[in-house]
Amino acid sequence: MELIPSLDLLQGQVVRLTRGDFNTAHLYGDPEAVLDSLDVPRGARLHIVDLEASRSGRPIETGIVTRLAQRDLIVQVGGGIRSLDDARRWLDCGAERLVVGTVAATSPRLLTSLVAAFGASRIVPAVDVHDGVIRTDGWERAASASLREVFTRIESLGIEEVLVTDISKDGALRGPSFSLYRQLRELTRVKLIASGGVSTSGDIVSLSRLGNVSACVIGKALLEQRIRLSDRPTSNTIPERVIPCLDVRGGRVVKGVSFENIRDAGDPVECAMRYEAEGADELVILDIDGGTDRETIRRVADSIFIPLTVGGGVRSRDDFRDMLRAGADRVAINTAALRRPELIRECAEEFGVQAVVLSCDSRGGFAAVRGGREVTNVDSVEWCRSAEELGAGEILLTSVDRDGTSNGFDLDLLRSVTSVLNIGVIASGGAGALHHFRDAIESGGARAVLAASLFHDGVLTVADVKRYLAQEGIPVR
Amino acid sequence: MRAVGAPLDVSRDPLVIARAAKLVLPGVGSFGAAMKWLEETDIAIAIREAVSNGAFLLGICVGHQLLFDVSHEMGSTRGLGLVRGEVQRFDGPLPVPQIGWNRVTARGPLFDGVEHEAFYFVNSYAARDAANEVASADYNGPFTAAVQRERVCGVQFHPEKSSAAGLRVLRNFVAWN
Repeated sequence: MELIPSLDLLQGQVVRLTRGDFNTAHLYGDPEAVLDSLDVPRGARLHIVDLEASRSGRPIETGIVTRLAQRDLIVQVGGGIRSLDDARRWLDCGAERLVVGTVAATSPRLLTSLVAAFGASRIVPAVDVHDGVIRTDGWERAASASLREVFTRIESLGIEEVLVTDISKDGALRGPSFSLYRQLRELTRVKLIASGGVSTSGDIVSLSRLGNVSACVIGKALLEQRIRLSDRPTSNTIPERVIPCLDVRGGRVVKGVSFENIRDAGDPVECAMRYEAEGADELVILDIDGGTDRETIRRVADSIFIPLTVGGGVRSRDDFRDMLRAGADRVAINTAALRRPELIRECAEEFGVQAVVLSCDSRGGFAAVRGGREVTNVDSVEWCRSAEELGAGEILLTSVDRDGTSNGFDLDLLRSVTSVLNIGVIASGGAGALHHFRDAIESGGARAVLAASLFHDGVLTVADVKRYLAQEGIPVR
Repeated sequence: MRAVGAPLDVSRDPLVIARAAKLVLPGVGSFGAAMKWLEETDIAIAIREAVSNGAFLLGICVGHQLLFDVSHEMGSTRGLGLVRGEVQRFDGPLPVPQIGWNRVTARGPLFDGVEHEAFYFVNSYAARDAANEVASADYNGPFTAAVQRERVCGVQFHPEKSSAAGLRVLRNFVAWN
């Protein structure tokens, strides 16, 4: 995956707009100073957008582009290219590639003559999409041509790559539009440059898994140092985990909706062994009565050969140690840690950070205790962040609002936690269909996905989910 | 070990360990504390003696790291020195510790039938490109997932938590002669 730093220019300054709105302009300062701060590798591609030009329809920031093009970089520039003369002016500045937006959708003839004059490899059409509709003229108008028509035309001209921006995602740091790129995979064989919403290294990994995205433009996330170009690219082959959860009460597996209306669902040992046979990567046992019963843990731990995480009713280091001795590999703590956060540090010091899982039950954005029944005034995102600092090795993040609803994981909650944490997050609460698992990993940034009732009720098996994830390009064991 | 049919004796007696034909050195925790304990209890000497008498040895996780010359976890600590190399912290954008499954490319008698499988790891430290490496994986760059030097071998992952693939490694160790 090629990472392309992007500078948006307005009145000689680097700025960022949110969703293309000029009223939201945020100033980052002098372009050369900004570029110096980004650690751009030699020979890398630099993406420059002349915002005023895209609005007025003629090149404005030619001076700056000339200076930047003298560096050891491949400069591609866009904004307001509506004639061969505009294109020539940018090329005279030293730009090697031209990013053409509006004409790709509105003026097939000009696109054709640009390719004829300068070669297909120097022309990068930029397609801006909002809710599946192409937008033009600085995103202010909807185009009449459909995505399919525009891509067919682009392909027929021999153009190799197209910059695709989902406007609704741009500058919002809410993640790229995976669904748009996936939709385009069915429509065209042209390689895509993803743009808009790329804000974590996980986003880059997820984009690379799609197969048709060869590069991505990164703006705000670089300027705000959420992503560094000097970071070594992370492996995209590490398997993601699928984790069935057994909610246990009195030695029996039970399941309820939003922690209420509890139903009996079987023997924990039988369930655990079946899950391992289906390919479960780990097992979580939560004692919903809050008084974890050691005998059940011991029986389950003795019958499976996958990692076991246990939670519910762990109030102290002694409880924590008891769970490990009973055979748990990791222990989840919730209520006791909220009441006394230092417990996280103490357990991490005694048992190692790998053993400490902070279980955060989130209700309306706030951490809840006592099985989700009682909401605190502690912000869920802030709580997860401080748990990481205190020494938690992973977060089990459950949306109480979604739990048992089958409406899908809470992707906004997940993303707001995963984008500020370095440790992994297990997504929990709301799984109801195959694509929910994909979305939690891809858009939510989760490193593991958990479900309880879905697997108990046999709606889906662990094997179904893993097969589906593999089909979607997400590595599984 | 019992699940793969091996008769098992859990011991901390240096005399028993020194005479064993096959040894497993497990371990969760910190390198320094483990090494200190092995030396204070004379188990370090017993392990070296068993190995020089031709015993097979399998180190697991920290037990695997203890086989190396040195570890840089919280300062530098000498290991058992049974395999060549150093243990270092993972660095990079992926979260540390590594918690989860990772794909391993392996060879040798320990990995018969499981040369390309995922195993379960929990570690903040690992050797990189060790001289006696027989298996590698990638986490913030390539690292040594297993080593073997004659009859001494070590696995950075947890075979006992790696489902069928992990049990196969244990079975291979039990059957090895």
